[in-house]
Amino acid sequence: MTLITGKHLPRRTFLRGVGVSVALPFLDAFVPAGLNRARAAAARSAADPTRLVAIENVHGAAGSTAYGASRHLWSPAAEGHDFDLTPSALSPLESFRDVLTIVSDTDVAPAEAATPPEIGGDHFRSSATFLTQSHPKQTESSDVRAGISLDQLYAARFGQDTPIPSMQLCIENVDQAGGCAYGYSCVYTDTISWASPTEPLPMIRDPRLAFDLLFGAGGTVEQRTARRRERRSVLDFITAEVASLKRDLDPVDRRRMDRYLDDVREIERRIQRVEERNTSGEALLLPGAPAGVPDSFDEHVKLMFDLQALAFEADMTRVFSFKLSRDATGRVYPESGVDRGFHPSSHHGEQQARIEEFARLNRYHVSLIPYFLEKLRSIDEGSSNLLDKSLVIYGSPMGNPNVHNHKRCPLFVAGGANGKLPGNLHLRAAPGTPMANVMLDLLHRLGVDDLECFGDSTGTFSLSA
Amino acid sequence: MLKRIRGVVGIVVPALVAVSAAGTVHAQASAPAEAGQPPVVTEAPPPVATAAAQAIVERTCRRCHNDRLRSGNLSLAQFDVETAVEQAEVAERMVRKLRAGLMPPAGVRRPDESVLLGLAEELETRLDAAAEANPNPGRRGFQRLNRAEYARSVRDLLALDVDAGDYLPLDTKSANFDNIADVQMLSPTLMNGYLRAASEISRLAVGDAAAGPVEAAYKVPRWVSQREQVEGAPYGSRGGLSVTHAFPADGEYRFRVSFHHETTGELFGSGRAALHTAERREQLEIAIDGERAAAFDLDRWMHVSDPNGVNLWTDPIHVTAGPHRVSAVFVPQFDGPVQDLISPHDWSLASTSIANAYGFTSLPHLRDLAIRGPETVTGVSDTPSRARIFTCRPEAPGEERGCAGEIIGRLGTAAYRGPLTAANHAALMALYETGREDGGFEAGVRMAIEGMLASPRFVFRFEEPPIDVPATASFPISDHDLASRLSFFLWSSAPDAELLDLAAAQRLSEPAVLEGQVRRMLADPRGEALATRFAAQWLRLPDLEALQPDVRVYPDFDEQLKWALRRETELFFLHLLREDRSVLELLDADWTFVNERLARHYGIPGVVGPRFRRVEYPAGEPRRGLLGHGSVLALTSYADRTSPVLRGKWAMEVLLGSPPPPPPPDVPDLEDTVVAEDGRLLSVRERLERHRASPACASCHRMMDPIGLALERYDVTGAHRLWDNGSRIDASGELYDGTPLRSAADLREALLRRPAPIFRTFVENLMAYALGRRLEHYDMPAVREIARAAGTAENRLSAFILGVVRTPAFRMKGGLAGESIP
Repeated sequence: MTLITGKHLPRRTFLRGVGVSVALPFLDAFVPAGLNRARAAAARSAADPTRLVAIENVHGAAGSTAYGASRHLWSPAAEGHDFDLTPSALSPLESFRDVLTIVSDTDVAPAEAATPPEIGGDHFRSSATFLTQSHPKQTESSDVRAGISLDQLYAARFGQDTPIPSMQLCIENVDQAGGCAYGYSCVYTDTISWASPTEPLPMIRDPRLAFDLLFGAGGTVEQRTARRRERRSVLDFITAEVASLKRDLDPVDRRRMDRYLDDVREIERRIQRVEERNTSGEALLLPGAPAGVPDSFDEHVKLMFDLQALAFEADMTRVFSFKLSRDATGRVYPESGVDRGFHPSSHHGEQQARIEEFARLNRYHVSLIPYFLEKLRSIDEGSSNLLDKSLVIYGSPMGNPNVHNHKRCPLFVAGGANGKLPGNLHLRAAPGTPMANVMLDLLHRLGVDDLECFGDSTGTFSLSA
Repeated sequence: MLKRIRGVVGIVVPALVAVSAAGTVHAQASAPAEAGQPPVVTEAPPPVATAAAQAIVERTCRRCHNDRLRSGNLSLAQFDVETAVEQAEVAERMVRKLRAGLMPPAGVRRPDESVLLGLAEELETRLDAAAEANPNPGRRGFQRLNRAEYARSVRDLLALDVDAGDYLPLDTKSANFDNIADVQMLSPTLMNGYLRAASEISRLAVGDAAAGPVEAAYKVPRWVSQREQVEGAPYGSRGGLSVTHAFPADGEYRFRVSFHHETTGELFGSGRAALHTAERREQLEIAIDGERAAAFDLDRWMHVSDPNGVNLWTDPIHVTAGPHRVSAVFVPQFDGPVQDLISPHDWSLASTSIANAYGFTSLPHLRDLAIRGPETVTGVSDTPSRARIFTCRPEAPGEERGCAGEIIGRLGTAAYRGPLTAANHAALMALYETGREDGGFEAGVRMAIEGMLASPRFVFRFEEPPIDVPATASFPISDHDLASRLSFFLWSSAPDAELLDLAAAQRLSEPAVLEGQVRRMLADPRGEALATRFAAQWLRLPDLEALQPDVRVYPDFDEQLKWALRRETELFFLHLLREDRSVLELLDADWTFVNERLARHYGIPGVVGPRFRRVEYPAGEPRRGLLGHGSVLALTSYADRTSPVLRGKWAMEVLLGSPPPPPPPDVPDLEDTVVAEDGRLLSVRERLERHRASPACASCHRMMDPIGLALERYDVTGAHRLWDNGSRIDASGELYDGTPLRSAADLREALLRRPAPIFRTFVENLMAYALGRRLEHYDMPAVREIARAAGTAENRLSAFILGVVRTPAFRMKGGLAGESIP
């Protein structure tokens, strides 16, 4: 299923990539409307849940090598509050250290090979493990299996009150069909979000498509306003039609039409919500919205961040997952000052100079995050701002990419999470601690507090020192 | 009858072990058949008296189906043939098993077949008589248009091809069909989908001079061979893709193509690995409606780290509004086989990390095509949709309203599939006025079309109960509702003007008119829906989409072949339909449809070109009917091995209507059984035998496996083979009724010898699809009646279809049960 502005290949060239139809709020489509609403109402009473963004980058970090660790290329030297970010790839986050929690040295063991045929296939398996912390089944067919991902666990509980329960975004081109390599289906490489262990969710690459889904179709403010007006006329028309139709229906069909009218009113409510928030929203992004995918990585990532901030502000959704890259990509990032591609650079051969070069790439990637944090901080939410109400997770399911291991993987979280995270903290986990323990603690803090285990968790790793 | 005195050999169904082996032996058939040539079992064996039937139940069935054992979760301890009607559901289950020859199970002493069929006959007689005395047409809630019906309705209404999958969520299936009313949930998401579709489609149909630039991307699956021409692409091209794209306005559009690259970033198929690097550069052209619009020379040294990556952009190209076929294809630089160190396979792209080794000729692969625009809109040219919509053009402002009223009246009648009331018309005209105020006449018409497409009268298929009939009573549906049932059954689309006219004149329900219309509709091109939707879903062809045979074992399997496999079966069914042939040909046709690619796969000589054509199997070719179709054989296989179990299950479920129960929990997977023994890989057959050693598994596998094993001479892709993992194929086995099998031909004959379950299963599926509901036990008398009547008409397809259309279940709607009335 292609994601782009509703175009689609004819059947003969069409491969069912990932089952569920794109971007449609997953639960909504399959659960009877009434049930869904009851759940949404329950979540609403929780009031103002934390906005969640889970960002994955591939290829680990220079700091996960022995040399990199000794030079503090990722993890700062000191634990606790008084850590120095200067040598670290995390240095761009200095001005956000009050909302920053760095967790060093956790492992993503489920990304390791479990059987001989899996050895070497790390690039084609890792992304599926990041937010699921589960070991993906090696298959190129449709019988894919990983685990339910952190963002989807959260969205199932706290995403149901917004028009779109969650949204999945990515930067790199994806294949979404057939196998990638080492006997792994491409979905393992293409997405980090799993609605269930067997339902990978496709990710949206075109910012314009994401925008249209969030805020309605139309290239300009005027067009969108006009379309909303038209939509309202059509909804009024439908309401009148239903009223006249119902007279001619039998009692069972009539009851079904009553529920249908509830759906009509729900759509009206959504339009109303966009209108209430649109003045700020429209100004933020337009008329600069591009027709499609920007060529520049920098521009593309920032645009995706704009969209996420905007969606939070308009309360269109509260959950994003965001895949910054794709395993084994050879993309060069001119802004980083490194002219070697991402994948070649990650195979640094344990040479010190090459490791330091790779650290510059890591720093460049991290340097894009403050743009987003600043944007969230600038959005006023009465007594606080959106950054205080958000939680941004950034990490990688790989450790030292040169040897494809999954130990001492990079991970930090930023944002106030509605007061659930103290911030300004560097924690170092005991060797062998699963990253899943950190994620389980995060889920508990976010309100999914009845979850007993997550992925390969062995307990929780507390993020409040 | 074959004489069946079988000792308890080998494995015994465990449930039976507890039972005394001293069961009464029934009388054998009075006239033993000639050896080797079992006669065809007809539907009317010599009747046995009620008492005799009851005796079978007591002496044979109850040995396992008693209160203590409850085999198959069924006890017949209280079952009495005399009062079978009171336990109609159980009785129907018995009939089904008996007719298929599935009971008593394999390995158990069974009475003579004619005796068993006598019991079936006795039960059927009673059930049918009861149904005739007290018919129950059944009922369902209103249906909504699913993706396929929505797209076809839009096509017929607005002359516009859309993919409803772009707007509507996936349809939920029940009983294998996507149109079953009671699983068609409504939700805000669905509502939103229909609204978005109405808005976008009305704009595409009318044209949108205000359209701003957007990007649409079409992906090319890796498995599409880049050596062969793809469907719709210009002749003499290779690979790439070809799509019909609806352009919203006349204006400038830019096209971007991107290519697959190796994991290290180099263009895949650059030629640098080939032993003899081609002298000439690869060329790619963008063609619009078959005319070259742009051409590129491919830079062999492209790299993802280049400023533009492995992408190429065209300059802006002017394209007019409406649907145009856009192809992005390679220009072949050579023909014929390639001489290289490694002989290249069919050039699909299973993996970017294989086939780039030295001495391996590979070709660049298109990854996707994006169309971005429009910039600088110059207007909206006429399109087929606009011709369909604007049948009048106002010359002066005073004429606008009249013209709009005419357009809306015509389109509205078609969209609502029935007469437009004054109120309906007025409501749509009100939308027209809203739109006209904003953007003039055309904008007003567009707005009214958006309303029509979003209206519940279009999206849902209501069937109005007549006035003055109590809600609990059954009633014949109106002629207009009959027109819709017919058109959605046979066309998956709305009724056309002829049907609506006949409905308006209340003549459609006249038997002769109805039959005439069915025959007309079957001959109409729209009748293809019965093949591409009904037959495809019945035969599980959509499962092919998820299929991807292991590239290391089947390197030549590509997307074109997969598509051809499905197309073969669809065309095969369509041909049966158009030629009005016997349903039994589904199993024994000695002809099929192939194109060059598929003929090569099957080893059929003399077929050249991409067009499908009917061929008779060459002499000596054992393939016949569906069981020889690559589609069926492939969709019942795993990626790296055949599955006799899945093939057996498919036959039992799809052809015989008796699916085996799901495996019990804690059953070890076949994959967990030993793969090799004595330094030799085991064949699938040998592994299955080890798997079946478990008595818990054996009872069902004894039914499924022999069916599938008889088809072992066909590999995962449906190609003929002699060997499996180094062992010569052994396709022998014993069917559940004891018939020895040595080949697919034996299996076919064994199944055809007992055609009743095949006919009935076909009717059941046809009816479920036609009615939009799962069949219940009370529908079975109608199923039998339809099959019987078709039997007197040489089992022609039209006889089955007419039978369904004439049945009360299709013509009537059942009353509500008392408790469901508020």
